[in-house]
Amino acid sequence: MNQRIVWAIARKDVRAIGANLQVWLPMLILPVFIGILLPGGLLFALRTVGVEGDLREITRILDALPESQLRRALDLLPSVEQQVAYFAMNYLIAPIFLLIPIMASSVVSADSFAGEKERGTLESLLLTPTELSDLFAGKVVGAMLPAALLSTLTFGLAVVVANLVGWPMFGRLFFPNANWWPLILLVMPMLSLTAILVNVFISARVATFQAAYQLGGLIVLPILALLFGQVSGVLLLDTLLVSLIGVILAVVNALLMAIIGRRLRRSQLFESQVQ
Amino acid sequence: MSANERGGECAKPPMKGSWSMASPLIEVSGLTKSFGSNRVIEDLEFEVGAGEIVGLLGPNGSGKTTCIRLLNGVLRADQGSMRVGGRDPERDGSAIRRMCGVLTESADFYRHMSGLENLRFFAQLYGVEERSRPEEVLRRFGMEEYQHRKVGTYSTGMRRRLGLARAVLHSPQILFLDEPTNGLDPEGARMVLADIATLNRREGTTIILCSHLLQQLETVCHRYLFINRGRLIEQGSLTELRDKYRATLSLRVETDLRLQSDTYRGVEAKSMGDGVVQFRIPERERVPDLLRRLTQEARVYSAELEEPDLESLYFRIRGVNHA
Repeated sequence: MNQRIVWAIARKDVRAIGANLQVWLPMLILPVFIGILLPGGLLFALRTVGVEGDLREITRILDALPESQLRRALDLLPSVEQQVAYFAMNYLIAPIFLLIPIMASSVVSADSFAGEKERGTLESLLLTPTELSDLFAGKVVGAMLPAALLSTLTFGLAVVVANLVGWPMFGRLFFPNANWWPLILLVMPMLSLTAILVNVFISARVATFQAAYQLGGLIVLPILALLFGQVSGVLLLDTLLVSLIGVILAVVNALLMAIIGRRLRRSQLFESQVQ
Repeated sequence: MSANERGGECAKPPMKGSWSMASPLIEVSGLTKSFGSNRVIEDLEFEVGAGEIVGLLGPNGSGKTTCIRLLNGVLRADQGSMRVGGRDPERDGSAIRRMCGVLTESADFYRHMSGLENLRFFAQLYGVEERSRPEEVLRRFGMEEYQHRKVGTYSTGMRRRLGLARAVLHSPQILFLDEPTNGLDPEGARMVLADIATLNRREGTTIILCSHLLQQLETVCHRYLFINRGRLIEQGSLTELRDKYRATLSLRVETDLRLQSDTYRGVEAKSMGDGVVQFRIPERERVPDLLRRLTQEARVYSAELEEPDLESLYFRIRGVNHA
């Protein structure tokens, strides 16, 4: 692996995002929405209105919870509002959070090869002595960096906003709980990598960015399943489960890289731009 | 104006055989490539020696660009064998791409980046160590003034010159130039051709040129390969091709000779007025004898052998192969 070349490609791709307002502007909406409006609004509502209307559904789920990490944490909280706030921030929001690295990296990685094809620069790249593995690695790193930056930013904002708005209720830091550390440090990067590998691979095989982006969007489906599991109380995240998901994703990524290494050919990449 | 006068300041092709074909730098044999049902290259066969400037000639869609891509290992051949510097483009492509510089119509630049930023990026990919090299090649192709402007604002000619700058960025041993003068003004085209010739003379760079502007190629190339429908239909130096394809030679002589009939010493002759007589000679070897006789019998002020230029040869060769 030629690090100089990998970095040169990654740096060029990151700078291209900066130059394209249409790409980075929608990406900034995510941290604002998920990092500020969602936790701020939710906690503010719980403080002022309390558990009313539809929110009562959640209390029913919480009451029926079996013995678990969450059950023990909830039993320590005196009021229903605190229980709902704790559950919503530490559990419900987690899958939504996972959408950030996926969306951020998908936009960039779907564009990676398909965008080069559309702009006629892929031929220029393929005519250089750059090894395909280096080119691919550069594309992956270039998509990882903005995703990592955006996820960290959103998480940081959510921590500050949630604890600030929730302080009158809790009088202490209540978010994040222990689940978040493997989520942030293992699952998020691994999931970004999965999204990027899938997207870059699709991007390498189709001719246009549009097609790549459409196909790559399918990766959101498992996240929706996870969100449903949280809301219904069927599959609740705990530290062990989060770590397990991270490890499974790591294995999936290793497999994807092996497949890509075997399937990606210079000539195939070149001819895919003519189709 | 004869071909030689036109080529005055450009490369003088070396004497035939002055480059070594004992071990050609590029060897192609039995090469075949199709896209779907469309056969673009068919049983193509040729060799290029180190230090040669070779013109690849043929109509649009005759497979010239595909050939360049195959030789650089970005396309896979269906059949046949290729060797570039003794290496196989399919197995050893990166080593070949390191020694080759390529300019094609379709290999574009990043438009949101300046010309200099583009070249700096590609310098990294080509492993160019010398930091000032991008500026140096930009200066060489007269792009210094525009180097900080975004490529998206460049004219066709400027992009072409940037493409040339990129092709020579890593001082390649072999240059593939597909229509290098397209979009350039006459001065620009002249400059580029002179540069190509200099590069060949000073650094011994082997150059494969594709162009439609045959008149321009005539002054630079040592040898020509004629390709039609992916096949090699003819090859040779200008002299070799002239010898093979001309029916008769035309000799224009400025003289006070008064013609008595339409032949002179068994050679077809015609008075063109203004003291000019045109002789139609079946072969070059008859010229010295004819001139000797002529100078004995009349006053001769000038004599010029009109040779067919590359363009008329091109059409003659294509005509023969179509028939």
